[in-house]
Amino acid sequence: MSSEIVFAGLVAGRLLLALAPLPGALKYDHQLSSPLTSHLRLQEGIFLYQNDIDPYSGSVFRHSPLLLSLFSTVLPTSSVPCAFLWTLCDALSAYALVAIWRARQRVPKSTRDGLVAASYLLNPYLFLPTLALSTSTFENMSVLLTLMFASQGRTSAALLALAFATHLSLSSILLLVPVLLLLITAPTSQLASPRPFPSDLHKTALLLGEFVSYSAILTLASTIVAGGWSWVPQTWGASLSLPDLTPNPGLWWYFFTEMFDHFRPFFLMVFSVHLLIYIFPICIKFQHDLLYAAFLLLGVLATFKAYLTLADPGLFLSMIVLFPEIYPYTRHPIVTTLLHLHAALLLPLFHHLWISQGTGNANFFYASTLVFGMANGAALVDCMWAGLRIAVGEAKEGEGWEVVQE
Amino acid sequence: MVSWSLLVVPLVVLGGVWCEEYEEDLVLRPLRDGKVSSTFTFTTVLHGADPAQHYTLFPLPLGQILREYAITELHLSLNAGKWNYDAWGYPEHPAVPTGAELWAWMPDGAASTIDDRWAGLRNALAGLFCASLGSLDHRRTSSPVQAYPLQSSHIPSAPHHLRHATLPSEHVCTENLTPFLKLLPCKSRAGLARLLNPQRLFDADWHGLGVHVLSTEGGGVEMKLVVQAVFDPVRLSGGKRRDWSFQSLFDRTINAACPVASSSSVRVFLPEEQIFSLSPEPEPQPSDESQPRDESQPHDESQPHDKSLAIYDVPTLVSHGPLDVAMQWTTEHAFQYPPPLSIQRTLHGTSQAHGALACTLTNRGPAPLRVGYLETLPALVTLWAHTIRVEVGGVGRDDLLTDLIYHPSHSPSPFSSHSSSPSSSSSPQTHAHAHTHTHGPSPSLLQATLTLPPYSTLRLTAELSRAFLRYTEHPPDAMRGWDLPGAVFFPVPVPGSTDSASSFNANHSAPTFNHSARTDSTYAQTDEAHAHIHTLPYRMHTPALLADLPTPDFSMPYNVIILSCTLVTLIFGSVFNVLTRGWVVVEV
Repeated sequence: MSSEIVFAGLVAGRLLLALAPLPGALKYDHQLSSPLTSHLRLQEGIFLYQNDIDPYSGSVFRHSPLLLSLFSTVLPTSSVPCAFLWTLCDALSAYALVAIWRARQRVPKSTRDGLVAASYLLNPYLFLPTLALSTSTFENMSVLLTLMFASQGRTSAALLALAFATHLSLSSILLLVPVLLLLITAPTSQLASPRPFPSDLHKTALLLGEFVSYSAILTLASTIVAGGWSWVPQTWGASLSLPDLTPNPGLWWYFFTEMFDHFRPFFLMVFSVHLLIYIFPICIKFQHDLLYAAFLLLGVLATFKAYLTLADPGLFLSMIVLFPEIYPYTRHPIVTTLLHLHAALLLPLFHHLWISQGTGNANFFYASTLVFGMANGAALVDCMWAGLRIAVGEAKEGEGWEVVQE
Repeated sequence: MVSWSLLVVPLVVLGGVWCEEYEEDLVLRPLRDGKVSSTFTFTTVLHGADPAQHYTLFPLPLGQILREYAITELHLSLNAGKWNYDAWGYPEHPAVPTGAELWAWMPDGAASTIDDRWAGLRNALAGLFCASLGSLDHRRTSSPVQAYPLQSSHIPSAPHHLRHATLPSEHVCTENLTPFLKLLPCKSRAGLARLLNPQRLFDADWHGLGVHVLSTEGGGVEMKLVVQAVFDPVRLSGGKRRDWSFQSLFDRTINAACPVASSSSVRVFLPEEQIFSLSPEPEPQPSDESQPRDESQPHDESQPHDKSLAIYDVPTLVSHGPLDVAMQWTTEHAFQYPPPLSIQRTLHGTSQAHGALACTLTNRGPAPLRVGYLETLPALVTLWAHTIRVEVGGVGRDDLLTDLIYHPSHSPSPFSSHSSSPSSSSSPQTHAHAHTHTHGPSPSLLQATLTLPPYSTLRLTAELSRAFLRYTEHPPDAMRGWDLPGAVFFPVPVPGSTDSASSFNANHSAPTFNHSARTDSTYAQTDEAHAHIHTLPYRMHTPALLADLPTPDFSMPYNVIILSCTLVTLIFGSVFNVLTRGWVVVEV
């Protein structure tokens, strides 16, 4: 069966799912959309905008002004066209994933294409937020398009897509360094044969300038649309200052719900800066394979992002399919898988017990977010271990030898 | 009557110790909500004890029960409905609990015990009045002596005991009224009891029967049989007018007086403010004639008394023909109570995170009503303005909501150096509410104009989300929930009126005076043609709502900080462990 037929079948299945009457109830789910990505808030912002009320004057609307202008002009807001649009974005993301896979393998087509597409389109962490019409679908799409263009060596397109990704979700800035470095190297797998960074770092200066100019243009356009700078604290500021403590599967919300007021700014700074700490160590350690570095940084985001939804871990988990060479070397695959299964059961159950049923309290859901954080962290560490372990190769002939870290 | 007293007097003289007397009285009181309270009181007084129980007027079945169980005082009431003290004031007779209530004072000294007598009394009355009083057993019986004291003027010296029981589920019906009427000397054939038409009585908004027996001096007994009912003439007349008459309320008139009644009167309380007419003309107050007016007393003080009560003597009036007392508000076109707009506002939804706000507005008037709607919700509740839906009778009518002004709630963030510059809009609406943001959360403000079609119910719904607050932002009793302020409905300028004051006049005086001469059909036509839009005379407020917010665990700050930080450092440590350590091959 050719991969095109598989792809078309998957997209058709997803479309049927999106048109089912299910999405109405999912729209309110805290695990599928955060205040920064909720479709309910997007609709509210469009309503306010169309009624000549500044959507950024309240604390309701936290989406980008670009989404606001697009949805209030060309893009649809009613449910059926929205289902088509969101499914189309997912199909594009899946296509980008397939393209990244082909670029990494240096083949125009492979038998594994269908599996790669399926790993994205059938991932429940990804299709449930899409059914909830969360704008995290757009964020994931722009990230995957960035990586696709970077793998294909299309510099300007990659930087523009990255500018979009950063504009939609500020924490995507973590990908800037690996993407810049990926653009001046190749996406092929070098995990098994590490080497020093093969290219001249000075080339990135020009690329950085290009990225900054794209970002500046997007920011300026947003400011013109929003009629002022009021959108900045409402969108980018929110992911740094966490004004809305709506529960999500991440680690931030309950920590800052329970935080003592005088420590709040300090810990906000710690949690934000903590994300940046990972960039250079990972990029230095994986300087031979920067696509893998970008993948690991997405894993960091999937664990520690401010307004986490299931779509972020979903992107990370789906991308594992791009790196089949690491599978034999993962450290504790069964433990990690079981942790993820455990969290996938606990999260919706305890959320329901607390919010709807009223028989559990906030600690129930908090405990399940800890399990989920542990699962994502374990997956990150596993992938990191396998990515380094593969370079050592198989142990020597015969029994009795094992590869460990000193 | 004269012949009757001629008969009675020799009896009193011969017996020397006892005689009987029967009075009947009907009090009619128009209530301010357009209803009419009617109280029939049939009083039979037995002066002195009659050992042989050769009663003429006093009902023998009840006399036998009272004697058998040695009852000093007995009160039985069978009522249906809830007496609305707020709208109707105090009843003429205070026994208005819903269902059956029976209480009796019994003296010591009889052959059987108090509780045996109480059980016997219940069963005897149950048989007499066809009511389920037998089930008022010990599970329902108490002895609240302070709330139900002895009321008799003359009390035998023996110590008394109270037994009291209620049965709220008991329902009064025709089967109770028939034995009740049999206790009256004229049954329902003559006198005031003629008006007790079961079909109308049990159709009343509130109705009840009562039997009240008190002891009087020398072993005498005073028995009051009471029928109270609250009729709704507005309903009976098809929802328009509050005029009433015996014919309209009871579907009967008084054709004959009860010959054995020593007095039979109808008293009508007259409303103070409205212009009404009463037919037949009430006779002059007998009190004014009997008591020469005290000249030193100012004339004005006796004036309200004269005006507040009209008294009819039934035997006198019946001799001229059937008596049908009627009251009419001739200048009033249509009666409206309560105000033409009725508002209900509720919170829906079982989830602690999401819900819906619903306002149900009922326009009872014949004209479209235009009102302003103001909702100020604190920042802990987020109203989704795009989900506002307006329905009339289940059909979406979003066009009835106009002039929407909305300012979403604002919760402060460390970055909010907020300059409230509206987005490229120069509409007067947004400028009208130029919000000046201070530091701190500001409420959301929703203002709109609603137009209610005549005789319709408009339902406005909007979804809302509840905020998740920091643990320090919750009040000490967080589980109680948060009070949301009530909505305000206010007058708005309507076409044909320059300001709200004139629209108030148009609303109130026009139906009363301008259209009074027209018939209903012409009024309806002109109303359609003009389609006068009315507004409210004053602001109306809805009650506050209680919203329960999802709460964190208030005892957890340290635990959460410790657990979350542990997880972060665990992952951080593992990552840097993997990244920094070198690889070796070891022999195991």
